[in-house]
Amino acid sequence: MRLLVALVVTLMAVVTTARAAPSPLTVFAASDLALAFQEIVPRFEKATGSSVTLVLGSSGNFAQQIENGAPADVFFSADVAFVDRLVQRGFIIPETRAIYGQGRIVLAAAKSAGPKLTDLRQLLEPRVRHVSIANPVHAPYGRAAEQALRAAGLWDSVKPKLVYAENIRQALQYVQTGAVEAGIVALAIASVPEIEWVAIDPRLHAPLNQAAGVLRRSGRPELGMALVQFVNGAEGRPIMKRFGFMLPGEF
Amino acid sequence: MSAVATAVTLLIGLPLAWLLSHRRFPGRDVLEAVVVLPLILPPTVLGYYLLLLIGRQGPVGAALAAAGIEIAFTWRAAVVAAAVGSIALLIKAAQAGFEGVDRRLEQAARTLGRSEWSIFWSVTLPLAWRAVLAGTVLAFCRAMGEFGITLMVAGSIPGRTQTLPLAIYDRVQANQMTDANALALIAVGVVVVLIFGVSRLARLRY
Repeated sequence: MRLLVALVVTLMAVVTTARAAPSPLTVFAASDLALAFQEIVPRFEKATGSSVTLVLGSSGNFAQQIENGAPADVFFSADVAFVDRLVQRGFIIPETRAIYGQGRIVLAAAKSAGPKLTDLRQLLEPRVRHVSIANPVHAPYGRAAEQALRAAGLWDSVKPKLVYAENIRQALQYVQTGAVEAGIVALAIASVPEIEWVAIDPRLHAPLNQAAGVLRRSGRPELGMALVQFVNGAEGRPIMKRFGFMLPGEF
Repeated sequence: MSAVATAVTLLIGLPLAWLLSHRRFPGRDVLEAVVVLPLILPPTVLGYYLLLLIGRQGPVGAALAAAGIEIAFTWRAAVVAAAVGSIALLIKAAQAGFEGVDRRLEQAARTLGRSEWSIFWSVTLPLAWRAVLAGTVLAFCRAMGEFGITLMVAGSIPGRTQTLPLAIYDRVQANQMTDANALALIAVGVVVVLIFGVSRLARLRY
């Protein structure tokens, strides 16, 4: 028993000291930002001397977590609608809401799955047995994928082949590992060695306007705002552009 | 994290196990059923209910938030998730252990004027320690492996609420298979060493 008490006390001590250190800026970011933020975040940390904890996932999940009290400072959503909803419900500071880009979707195929796919219609070919998309219910890129398939008149025929991923990064990973032959993923993360892709006509889906905002509960809203401005600034913009985002002012 | 959860589990679980094994009271069957629920219900159901309870808008979450304590999406939520997921294993094992203790020995202690508290520590627990230890180890391993409840109530924030299983899931999603492999090996290693070590320990004595 004494041992147990000692154990609990030690652990509590460890946990509390760990929390006493200045906590990093926690950033919830849509997973299409995985590659772009790999470059932008370290630059921001260097420029400001702060540290950032980057959490990648589906925008819809993050919005729900934020409403339940998740301790984030900044939210980069793949869909402006989630940010607007959080502004409306008082979770995001209205003045901090900023569009940071417009996303594109691409048709991606595993190189191991044979000749490159160039048209959505080819998803019907028997060699394509499974197609991954992000879950359309809560992931904006998944919704865009569904809209594109519907607009192309392929939804009903492709639906039996669909595999829903938790977020767009997982949809990509399914193609990367060859677990599925093809997928509809974000252009911003599509340039990886294992896959080949072609752009999907953006007129087939509602524009993926992406917005960020600083949470009202954040202890350091200035630092959070600085990150949003950094992404939209002289250092961030070229990187975002290189990863295939349309930039604010260009659409 | 798993150790804290297991400590919490012991603090709550042992009294419950003793209660279930030594007392007959109204609602005992209900309590017994409730105790086993976490083993039977899908983790997502537990996670959802927990989130309703301890989330910012939940009754417990709101009360604690008023007191300045946040649970949802902090390390505390990960501990709660691990404890909820694992406590049934400890309680069932300990309960069986306590029930296996000869009542006459406890009666004898009672005639010597010992308090129930003292009997528990000097008679019941020493005789049932193997079951308790086995339950503790099982609970610890389950706590370490806890995934579904944690994901729902604690999120997956690196360095704060990202537990080992969540970190592995995250690495696989990001196609960082080397990292995923390393972390998975750690998980397997810890559990194997624990189970092996404890079974050795249990054979050594007695």
